Formats: sequence, C-alpha cells, structure tokens
Amino acid sequence: MIQDKPNTPSAPRFHWSDVFETWGGLIALVIMAAVCSLLPATRDSFLNPENILNIINQKAFLGIVAIGMTFVIISGGIDLSVGSMIAFVGGLAVVLMKKIIDSSGTEWLGVLAACAIAPLAGMVLGWITGLIVSKGRVAPFIATLCGLAAYRSAVLVLMDGGGESAFGVSSFEAISSTNNGIPLLNWTDATGREIALHLTWPIIVFISIAVLGQVLLSHTRFGRYVVAVGSNETAARYSAINVDRVRLITYTLIGLCTGIAAVLLASRLSGIDSSNTGILLELDAIAAVVIGGTRLSGGRGRIWGTVIGVLILGMIDNVLILASVSTHWQGLVTAGVILLAVLLQRSRSE
Amino acid sequence: MRAYLHSVPEPILTINGVTKDYPAVRAVNDLSLAINRGEAHGLIGENGAGKSTLMKMLSGLERPTAGSITFEGQPLELRSAADAMKRGIAMIHQELNLIGELSVADNIFLGRERTTLGLVDRGSAETAALKLLNQLGSNISPRTRVNRLSIADQQLVEIAKALSCEARLLIMDEPTAVLSERETNALFRVVNQLRLHRGVTIIYISHILPEVRRLCDRITVLRDGQYVKTVEPREVDDADLARLMVGRDLGELFPQRAAHLPDTVLEVRNFFVDGWVRGAGFELHRGEILGLAGLVGSGRTEFAEAIAGVRRRRSGSVSIIGEPADIRRPADAIAHRLAYVSEDRKLRGLHLDLSITENTTLANLRAYGFPLLKAAARRASAQEHARRLGTRCATVQQRVSSLSGGNQQKVALAKWLDTKPNVLILDEPTRGVDIGAKQEIYGLIHQLAAEGRSIVMISSEMPELIGLCHRILVMRNGRIVGALPGERATEADIMHLAAGLRENRVA
Repeated sequence: MIQDKPNTPSAPRFHWSDVFETWGGLIALVIMAAVCSLLPATRDSFLNPENILNIINQKAFLGIVAIGMTFVIISGGIDLSVGSMIAFVGGLAVVLMKKIIDSSGTEWLGVLAACAIAPLAGMVLGWITGLIVSKGRVAPFIATLCGLAAYRSAVLVLMDGGGESAFGVSSFEAISSTNNGIPLLNWTDATGREIALHLTWPIIVFISIAVLGQVLLSHTRFGRYVVAVGSNETAARYSAINVDRVRLITYTLIGLCTGIAAVLLASRLSGIDSSNTGILLELDAIAAVVIGGTRLSGGRGRIWGTVIGVLILGMIDNVLILASVSTHWQGLVTAGVILLAVLLQRSRSE
Repeated sequence: MRAYLHSVPEPILTINGVTKDYPAVRAVNDLSLAINRGEAHGLIGENGAGKSTLMKMLSGLERPTAGSITFEGQPLELRSAADAMKRGIAMIHQELNLIGELSVADNIFLGRERTTLGLVDRGSAETAALKLLNQLGSNISPRTRVNRLSIADQQLVEIAKALSCEARLLIMDEPTAVLSERETNALFRVVNQLRLHRGVTIIYISHILPEVRRLCDRITVLRDGQYVKTVEPREVDDADLARLMVGRDLGELFPQRAAHLPDTVLEVRNFFVDGWVRGAGFELHRGEILGLAGLVGSGRTEFAEAIAGVRRRRSGSVSIIGEPADIRRPADAIAHRLAYVSEDRKLRGLHLDLSITENTTLANLRAYGFPLLKAAARRASAQEHARRLGTRCATVQQRVSSLSGGNQQKVALAKWLDTKPNVLILDEPTRGVDIGAKQEIYGLIHQLAAEGRSIVMISSEMPELIGLCHRILVMRNGRIVGALPGERATEADIMHLAAGLRENRVA
C-alpha cells in the first residue's frame, strides 16, 4: 500500500465570506434590530415585548407557508400557488363551517370541521401539484403558475366574487385572537393601558412547525433526500432515492402548511375575501426563504434561516409603520434588504 | 502548406522560474521549462502536481506570483483567456467549453461573430467553419447543433475553434479520457497533422502514459509543483514515468491474482435494453473479478445500469445465489446486496456540494436510525470508510468538490461499500484518476474480492482489465461476443473481439 503523501490537504482556512454565508441572515436581523432600537423615530416603540410579539404574530401565517416553501425550494422546485391556495382552502373551510353551523346549530362542530378541512384540502391540492410535477414531468414553475390561476378562480366562483365572513363565530375567531394562547406577562402600553401579552396560537404553531421542520430537514432520511435531490437529481436517482416520491412529499407538505396557515388567517381576518386574501403571499414566502440563505436552485438551505427571513420582512413592515413612513416605500426597502441579504450570503465557490 | 522540420529546435515558449502561490499552498514552485516550436510536449504528473495551475497561467486564467514566461520571443503577460487567444494560445479543457444549443459554426466563431451591417453573417461563418473542419478531415456539418455531436466530434469543433484564431500553441487537457480507441487514433492523426503541416505546438496533458509516449516528442514530469525531468519517450517505459511522477518505486501496479471460489453468486440471463443491449448475460462467481470490455457505445454501461435497476430493461432475468431477484429500481438492487458504482462520478456518482459523510451514507440511510438519523454514527462510518480506502481529506464534513479526482472516486466507492454489497459493478472506476490512486483502487478491488465479494469491472483501459481480472467479457453491439481468461488475454485479443474482427462465443 502507498503511505500518506505529503500533500494531504490541511483543514479549510478561515474566510469572512464563510461566516456571512452561514450567519448573514442573522447578522442582518441583529443589525436591523439594533438600528431600529437606536433611531429616534422608532426607539421607544420598537424594542418592547408587545411590538415584538406583534411582529411575529403578524407574520406567523407567512412563516408557516415559508417553511413548506423551504422544503420545496431545497428539493429544486418552486410553488407559486400558495397565495391562491390559502384563499381557496381558507374559503372552503369558512363556507363549510357556516353551512354546518346553520344546519346543525352546533358551533363547535362547524369550527372543528373548518380546522380539519383546510389542512386536508391543502394536502390534497399539494399532492396533486406534486403528481403533476413528478409523474407528469411539468416544470414546477408552470404547474404551480396554473395553481395560482386556478385556485384564485375557484375561490372567486365559490364566493361569487365576494367574501365569506366568520364574524360572530366566536370560538373560531378566538383561535388567532391576541388574547388567547399562553399568557406571558402583563404589560403597560404607551397609553397607560395594562394588557396581558400572550404567545398566540399562530405564534405557537409557527414555532412548532419551524422546530419540526428543522428536525425533519436535518435529522431524518426524508430531509437528507430532499437536499440530495436538489443538489444533484441524477446522482440521487443512482443512489436509490425515489426522486418522484421525495418531490411528491415536498409539495404535499407545503399544501399542509398552507392549509394550517389558512385556518389561522381566516380566524384572524374573521373570514376570507375571495379577491384579496393571500395576494402575493407566494412572493413573500420565496423572499423569506431566499433571505434565509436557501439556494434558489436547490440543494442547500435551512429552516431557521427562513424564520429569520420572515422576521426581517416583518420588521421592515413594522418599522416603516412605527416611523410613520408612507407604505409606498415598503417595496423599495424590501428589495434593498433582499438584495443585501443575498449578496452577503453568496458562497465563495459560486 | 510547408512541412515543418524539427531539425533545429527553437523554443516557442520559455517558462522561467515561475511560482504560483495560493492562500493555502504553493501550487507551482520555481519552475523552468522550454517548449520547442512544432513539438508535441507531454506534461504528466499526479493530481496536485501543478499541471493545471501551470496551464491556467499559460491560458490567462491565473497570473504567476513570481517568474516570467516568454512566448515567441515576447514576454507573456495575460489578463484573461481572451488575451491568450490574441497571442495565439488556445486551450482545450477536459470539460469542453461549447454551447450545446448553438450550431457548430456559431460555436467556432463565438465572441468573434462575423457581421455585415451589424447582423451576424451566418453564411460566411458556415463557409469558414466548413473549410476549417475539412482541413481537420472531418465531415461535420457547420449547421449541426453541438449537443447532437459525439464527444469526439465536439473536440474537433474545439480544435477548429482554436485554429480559427490562428492558435500557434494548443494546450490539450486529457482529451482522450472520454474517447474510444478509434476516436483516439483519429484525434492523434489530427494532432500530428496540425503539428507537421501547420507548425502548431502542442502541450498534451494526460494520465494515460502509453498515449503520451506514443504522441509526444518529449515528456516533462512535474511533482508537487516542481519540475522533475524531461525525457524522450524512447528512453523510458510506463513504469519509469510512473516512478518519476510518484517519486518512488510503485512496485507492481497490479496485486497478485488470487483464485476465486467456484460457486455462482450472480447469474444474468438474456438481457434486452431498447437501443443498447440485445441478449446479453453472464455468470459471476464468489470472489471473482470479471472484466467487461468493449468500445464506447457497445452497451456496457447500459447493460450494467439495467442489471442494477437504474435503467429499464425489456426482458432478462437475474438470480443471486440461486434465488431469482426481481430488480426494477435501484432500491431493489441494494436490497439484494448488489451495488453499481456509476461512471461519470460528477454527474451520476456524487453530490459534489455535499459533505463526505453525506455522500458516504446516502444510499444506506436506512441503517442510521428511524425516525431520527444518528449523526455520530454516520460520521463514524464515513471516517471508517475514508480510513480504509485511504481517502485524503481534512475532515469528513468537507465538501466532496474540494477533493481530487482519485479521492472523489474513493468517496463514490465508499457510498456503495456502505450498503454492504456482495456484488459490485464498477463502471470505469479509474477514469481521470492519477497513477498512485489507481494503484490504491486496484489494491482495494483485489481486497474486496479476497473477502468473498464478486466484482464486475467495466473499463476502457485494457491493461487494467488484463492485470486485474480473472475473466474478461467483450461486448459489441449489445452482445457478449467473447470471453477471455484474464491472465492470458492480450490487448489485441480484446480489440479484435470489440471491433468485430473475430467472434468467440464462449459466454
């Protein structure tokens, strides 16, 4: 046998760009938070528990969808249909709930049905998308673009162009209420009013799904297969990975996430508006995933990054409102932050 | 055309004390070398010897840290590949730099499009391309889309491209790695013609020593970024060159052949794969190393892929240790303890941007816990394989893309060894691997067979089949056309069968 050669490679050298590649999103979040806590316009209103909880609560729906999107993007796909899907499955849930309550008169039965039907419908729609993409060999962009058009149309038909209100169904509205969930602390706000702050159900569900998602991605066979398929589909197939099934599951997963988010969103909005709910949600979700350091072409990514991406997007909205900047600026600021985050996280090897 | 004679060697290129430092390593160290006008100069060395860095400096992709280069009497200071082209230096990379969706003519004149009134003049480009291709003795149409051409023809397009910019120095990096014997011969004819009739100087980089000796006037050996020696092919044999490259005696390249057991482990019968395999089969015994030879396109790879369930077969049966095995998907093959290590490790074999651990355990993740995977067990397993195969890496968390070709091949092997196979099908396991790593891989194959595993080895390198295998099957046009005993086969025997000059239906 040949002995060790002198050119055994040494340990990889330290590079700042490696630090940014891994931690860029977090660094950006911390810098933004620091700036917001120091700027005179937002100093008092930004860094307090009420506002922070408010940011997370506002973006929990987006966050849940973005976690599903992370899996889809890492596997090398994309899903443009989630914005329309959240309106459609949410609408389906609210309509069904009203029907059941009207006919049976028992509110809990209707609420239970709504909570079950939206995730279930989301999963089925996601599964169908997955079939079209994997078995039908249709490019994910095209397949889900069709979904974007179709689900919006479907919810418009379902509600005849209007909306379906859940107003007055108190146990449904309670799901996403800020007065519900795990009590955290009592807080005196700027006006001197004392309120009980809660870890709301949307926040609890968002955090749970994020933790589960990170475990699923990093520590299970399915998660590693998702990465392998996105990194090199051919090599994955040669390694005995059922590529079609992996794809199918990622789309089913994002469908499930969208369905869960739909229940929470419908509760928060007290109903679904067929023409407005969920518009451009897909682009926000993709933005959050990309800000989080997941490679848009697949093969590399992380759930916690997406969580940071969601928080960054939430912070931009929040701070502009606190500083009384016109919401017209929001798009420009968001664009700048996305570009900056992606530039920071460029890999040395690319 | 006038014939160039090399009666008076006159240097076209002089490399003078060139050093190239990268942050972590000195890739080229105080290297001096002169290349004569009109010669074919072989450049050999193990991976990491500094060949590619040197060539990058000659083609404008890197600049030397110290030292100077003179080309045609003028100092050579290049800022880009375009600069090199302007000076008459062209490089043909291992991975061809052609655009598959464009036509042959478009590729040849890419970046230097001929225009009339600002519009691309297709007609004149096609005429010029046709003339160049004819000079190279090729009948490719300039209008063909490049991705419809064979690799050999694509290489000719690259050469035509180099000629179109009046290249006087042509650098070829492992051009024959993906060519069949016949295509290699055709390429050598073209190269010799360029040299003798057009006075083009060739720098030829290759791992295949007999080819280098056949083609080149002089051969320079590099090791660890330093100049070792320049020799003439007739003064040395392959073993001498290998010794110069490695810097010590390699000993026997192939391990001693050991006898295998008589019992049949794998029986493949009557395989048909659409367009590729027409009724092929064989028997494989315990501990046997069975060679599968044949020209590129003979259906070897497709046959192996069908056995392993990667490719759909029309018909055919497999039995493993006497039991019928219905292998339809790669997962079935793993369940039956059969592993196929694919050719083309970058495309099919490995996930280059994932870690060694990730790659090593990917095909066998079921063994690492459910629902949660045991990270420590995966790492330990990757380390164990790396130790056994002698994979040179800093840690097993390193990305596979940072490894040399030989070490990448070891990771590909490790991935399949991790599935604990009884039968291993190795497709071109030493392609693009340097001689030291080759010897290690031969040793490993031998060792696996000695442990009682059975091996099918597909290779285009006949010496390694002859040196390693108990039996060699030769494939042509989707059929097994002969079986030769390993220790008595000659390259001529194999070639005759592979090219269809003789039939020997034994299998």
